[in-house]
Amino acid sequence: MIYMAMATGFLLILIGFYGALTNRNLLRMIVAFTLANTGVNIVIVAIGYMHGRTAPILDAAVTASAAAARIIDPVPQALVLTAIVIGLGVTALMLAYAYKLYERKGTLDIAQYTDLKW
Amino acid sequence: MQFDWMKIPYSLLTLFIVVNYGFLLGALIQKMGARAGRRYGIPIWQNYVDMLKNYSMRSSITHGAMFYLGPVFRLSGGVGLLLFVPTIYGSYMFSNLSFAGDLILALYFVFFGTLGMALGAGESGHPHAAIGITRGLSQVSTAELPFALAVFSVALQYQTLSVTDIVAAQQGGMMNWTLFTNPLAVAAAMLAFLGTMMRPPFDVVVAPQEIPIGPPTEYHSSYLAMMQTNRAIFPIAKIVIYMNLFFGGADSWPVFFFKVFLIYLWSAFVGVVFPRFRVEQSIRWFLIWAVPLGILSIVLV
Amino acid sequence: MVNALYLIVAALTAAFLLGFLNPARRSAAYTITLLALTFMSCVSASWVWEFAVNNAAPVDIFTAGTEPPFAINLRMGLHEAALTLLVNLTGLLSALYLKDALFALGRRGMAVLLVAVMALCGIILTRDIFNLFVFFELAVISTAGLMLFSDDSRALAAGFKYLIVSQVLSVFFLIGIIFAYHATGTLNIDGMAEASLGMKTGGSIAFFMLFIAVVAELKPFPANGWALDIYESAHPAFAAIFSAATGAAAIYATDKLLLIGGAEWLPISTGIGIVTFLAANLLALPQTNDRRLLAYSSIAQTGLILAVLGQRDILGDSAPFIAGGLLFSHAIAKAGLYWLSGLIAGRELADWAILRSRPLLIFAFVTFIAMLSGLPPFPGFYAKWELVHMLAGEGRLALLAFILIGALIEAAYLFRWFGYIIKREQTDQTIACTPFQITPILAAVVGGWALGLVWGDLSASHFGQSNLLLALPLLFALSFLLLDWLPAWVKNTLAIAGMVAFFTLTYAEYDPLRLIFAIIFLIGGAIIFLASYDAHGRRIGFYPAAMLMYAGLTMLIRATDTFGFFAAWELLTLGSYFLILRGKRSEPHALSYVIFSLGGAFLILAGFALAAQGAPQFDLTSLSQLTQPLAPWVFLLLAIGFMTKTAAIGLHIWLPGAHSEAETDVSPMVSGILLKAGLFGLMVLLMSMGKQQLYGVELTHVLLWIGALSALLGNLMAIFEEDAKRLLAYSSIGQMGYALFGLALMNHLGWLMALMFVINHYIYKSMLFLSAGGVAKRTGTRDMYKMGGLITLMPLSFIATLIGIIAVSGVPPLSGFGGRWIFYNAILTTDYRLPMIIIFFAGPIAFLYLFRLIHTIFLGQLKDEHRKLKEAPFWIILPQMIFVALLMIFAMFPGLALRRVDTYLNQFFPEGGLSWAGNTITSSYGYWNPIAIMIIVCVIFGTLFAWLLFVNRRAQKVKQFNIVFSAERPFRPETTHYAWNFFAPYRKALGFLVQPFATRFWGTLTDLLHTTADLTRRLYDGNGQSYVFHLFAFIVVVYLMRIGV
Repeated sequence: MIYMAMATGFLLILIGFYGALTNRNLLRMIVAFTLANTGVNIVIVAIGYMHGRTAPILDAAVTASAAAARIIDPVPQALVLTAIVIGLGVTALMLAYAYKLYERKGTLDIAQYTDLKW
Repeated sequence: MQFDWMKIPYSLLTLFIVVNYGFLLGALIQKMGARAGRRYGIPIWQNYVDMLKNYSMRSSITHGAMFYLGPVFRLSGGVGLLLFVPTIYGSYMFSNLSFAGDLILALYFVFFGTLGMALGAGESGHPHAAIGITRGLSQVSTAELPFALAVFSVALQYQTLSVTDIVAAQQGGMMNWTLFTNPLAVAAAMLAFLGTMMRPPFDVVVAPQEIPIGPPTEYHSSYLAMMQTNRAIFPIAKIVIYMNLFFGGADSWPVFFFKVFLIYLWSAFVGVVFPRFRVEQSIRWFLIWAVPLGILSIVLV
Repeated sequence: MVNALYLIVAALTAAFLLGFLNPARRSAAYTITLLALTFMSCVSASWVWEFAVNNAAPVDIFTAGTEPPFAINLRMGLHEAALTLLVNLTGLLSALYLKDALFALGRRGMAVLLVAVMALCGIILTRDIFNLFVFFELAVISTAGLMLFSDDSRALAAGFKYLIVSQVLSVFFLIGIIFAYHATGTLNIDGMAEASLGMKTGGSIAFFMLFIAVVAELKPFPANGWALDIYESAHPAFAAIFSAATGAAAIYATDKLLLIGGAEWLPISTGIGIVTFLAANLLALPQTNDRRLLAYSSIAQTGLILAVLGQRDILGDSAPFIAGGLLFSHAIAKAGLYWLSGLIAGRELADWAILRSRPLLIFAFVTFIAMLSGLPPFPGFYAKWELVHMLAGEGRLALLAFILIGALIEAAYLFRWFGYIIKREQTDQTIACTPFQITPILAAVVGGWALGLVWGDLSASHFGQSNLLLALPLLFALSFLLLDWLPAWVKNTLAIAGMVAFFTLTYAEYDPLRLIFAIIFLIGGAIIFLASYDAHGRRIGFYPAAMLMYAGLTMLIRATDTFGFFAAWELLTLGSYFLILRGKRSEPHALSYVIFSLGGAFLILAGFALAAQGAPQFDLTSLSQLTQPLAPWVFLLLAIGFMTKTAAIGLHIWLPGAHSEAETDVSPMVSGILLKAGLFGLMVLLMSMGKQQLYGVELTHVLLWIGALSALLGNLMAIFEEDAKRLLAYSSIGQMGYALFGLALMNHLGWLMALMFVINHYIYKSMLFLSAGGVAKRTGTRDMYKMGGLITLMPLSFIATLIGIIAVSGVPPLSGFGGRWIFYNAILTTDYRLPMIIIFFAGPIAFLYLFRLIHTIFLGQLKDEHRKLKEAPFWIILPQMIFVALLMIFAMFPGLALRRVDTYLNQFFPEGGLSWAGNTITSSYGYWNPIAIMIIVCVIFGTLFAWLLFVNRRAQKVKQFNIVFSAERPFRPETTHYAWNFFAPYRKALGFLVQPFATRFWGTLTDLLHTTADLTRRLYDGNGQSYVFHLFAFIVVVYLMRIGV
């Protein structure tokens, strides 16, 4: 199950990279990157997952004293949460850029934005 | 510094002898050249006549200060060169002013007159003067090279730069002459000698016919007389160096006269046989034929 | 102390506060921003003070009240304090600079700026890997935000390309983090380092990903197209932040990361760094856009620092000193240059010529490029010195060579740019700038000099070198910067007084050999300065440059260790470069001069470093203790280095242009005086190292050949020149060839001859250059065939030239003969005969060009347009007459200068000294009496002259055309003056010898570099996807090299 998740995650990353490299449309590239980001998140969660343990939430079911033995490592999950937030920010920024770029030249083709080179 | 004042009259005596010998020898060689060309040639006293005439004439024009200085430089060069080298081996009387410096002094003083002459002629503004000088300098730069190599070879051979010592080392029979102990150096030097005597095939510098003038173009009367005097002294002063370095020097005046005559004759002999080279041809000729000899002499000594 | 956490708190609070402000209240918002940044700078500064002065221990800051690994911790130490200070100050100054842009964008822009600075501080402070990732992402987002400040519409695309790349990197970063965490169970950097991540299963892959993610932020070649575009299109103030602050933060992050990776990752870092350094510098060569050029340079500098980080295994405790020196030099200079670029309207390099209207800004520019090129007295210089020494000590010679080559290319394009500024056509607009824009630039200048002082101090206390900024000659030279508002004659008097005073104070300290050089440099320099009285106005920039050169020369002869020697060498190179650049058309020549000189300097540096074998301090005299197999290589490097200055054949192509295009009074300085620096270096070298053999070849023998060939070809090239000053310049090559030859003979008389040439060449070449310069000033041309017949109009110049050429040619009785005489005696004692033949050949050729010089200028026909010319100005004539007198005195009494040196040389060459009994100088072969020669020649000459004067006392001077030739009376001077192509037959016979082989060789080499660069940079085709491809390619290559298949 873990490996399954990890494989899925890596597959998503590769699909994301492939998409970003082969699609010249800005929006498609952005979507590809969100795919890759999702893949990354899956990988992180998959690595943090420990078989047979419960969610790292201290409540009636899991007491603080037993936590170390019963819950999975909460750190990767915290990382994923942060990563999602950051990913959201970057994606939003990229979308804003794409919008601005479109405003400027009326095209979403990245190959059209090569004024700066050499 | 102790200075023997008697050296002055002694030196003047040397000068006097050499000037007279130079006049006669110059005419004689001229005459021999003419005879070889089936002409009658000038009388043997012609130089005296010219000299008297030119010295007695008074000029009323000059082209400027350097124009004045040209002949002065020229004659000073000739006289100085003669006096910086001992004329007669073993004679205090005719050792002249050689205490002032050695062979190197003589070697470089050769250029003193040339330089001054070039400057003086330059000021006349005559283009032919400048052309003659450029040709002369161009030719000299390679013609002197074998000679310099030979001199160096001789200095190496005898391990000294003093002319007197070099002559001393050649005493005791002809076989001790540099001519036989270091023939390559002598050969190189004698080829170089041709180039500096202003005779064919290397006389395009003064080119007596085509450019009827060369550097002396604008000179006349006493200017010309001074230069003619130098024409008598300078070759002999130079030959003295050759004689001292390569042919055992001279220990008396008769030997001196004889050796100088023979050495002078060498250039005249070649001169009547060969036609004239252009400057670039003579440059190449010296580099191809004379310089390798000089190099060999240095390497092998 | 203020808790370092407040750096982050302050920025966040201020940014937050801005959100509450009324959008219309821009000045309030701006004030808050500035206050926050000032506060942050003060906090960092106070920490720097605490660590640097009070030697406090680094402080860890634990968040959430828990220690790692259970919470994030930050650390504040000296390095962090210094770097955050750099970041905050850059932010603050850029905020000042950005005033207008920030007002236009409003509070949001300011908030983004604050966040950016905060993120960079965070990257520096944090010790947690995930926290690092967060700050990196914050930096990315804020960078993308700040890109919008730009007026350049292309900036949008650049920002987007950056975002694409950073997306890929963030994937790598996160995956790397999670695997590293999985392997070590901690996110703390130090914890990971302790757990030795690389040892764990999959650990190296995890680290590889982390490494890639961070290193890619350093813009490694070729994955750096995005960064170039950002630099080029961003607002210059932001580009300054991006280069200085972001670069510094990323480098520090890499440094931290390498802690985890350990020693195995150092070589790959070095590799990436050095490839980037070389490639970026090379690609910068064909750049014409200023900001893109700076971008390449930024990338290169970052690469260099990465390479230094990769050498941490051998650098040890010196690593911060070296990396810091390079980093701060780079950051300050680059920020300053980007700020400057904001003042320039055009984007071509040549548009910067407008800076000429503001000398202060030129000074700023010079400061910045000197810092970037690692020239003294800036931190980069000290850093480079230590770095090269440590690399050489450990035998990492290939890296050393690459670093020096890259640095040379960088210096080449920077100085080329400076040449454009000084020499190119200036548009008539002036620079419009506000105090808000000037302040940051000046602050950077001040910071640069201050850091120079600090690094000098560090270098003095840690490595025992001297602090250059405290050296008296240099201080004296720099003081002319402050006095530049004075009129030229005041400064000239000050300069002369200073040099003479310094000499009188110190003359007792020199040994006889150095004394000769001291006299030439200081007193000789002062005499040439007399000619400078001829200049009017203020002559801005002349005196600092000239005095810098003289300071360098003075420090050169006073140096006792290699460090002092090399620093002086660089200073004099720099000063003389500025001097040469002042000539009207000297731009390309000054450039080739500085490139050759710096190339030579780098060889010298390498030689010294090899010799020292890692020792921080190395006395010049210790060179003699070197042994095989090292010694010959050191000898070779140093000799070639010194020969670039003496313009030995093959390395000479800079000289003719540089010397001839220089101003009238500068030519004698750079010819008569500067060339002697090279000879001095060679003397020091030969004196201590003597004869060396490399693969059985006697190196001094090689020098003999080089000297002889220089003499021959220098002379030959001189005779075909039409330009008087170029002729003299070529003649210098020949003369230096003679001197080199004399030194390489390695015997007593050879050295004496070289010294004779040193003195003579100073006197007559200075005199001839002044004379030719004076004539050129009057006639308005340097082409000799356009002159002629000037003897009557300029008699004093003529006399100087006449005496000069007699002396150069070596004809008795003047002093040149002494040199020739010693030369003949010297060669009699040595075994090498073949090179002498070449020297023999060179001798008479000198007559040709000398005659041409005097004839075509002063003799022959006077031109119509010159009939009303006056003698050269008094102040140019005066030193010439002094030189004439000096020449006469030296001709008669060579013992005055040479006798003591002759005795001194006995300790090196006990055999073959001269005997100075009475007035006769005697060697073991011959003798020579200069006074007698002078008297005899004068008597004969005087007698004949008097007689001729007497008989022709009534002669009158005829008119110019009173001559006849070819049956015509000439009437046009142009057709009568025989001057052009003067030695035509010679060219026919020997012209093949002077084909410009060396020029062609160097020309082809530079063309090749340019073409390569021009083709390679097409890699950056501007497409964001290509940039991602480059990144992947980079990743694959690093993977293959580090981890393998």
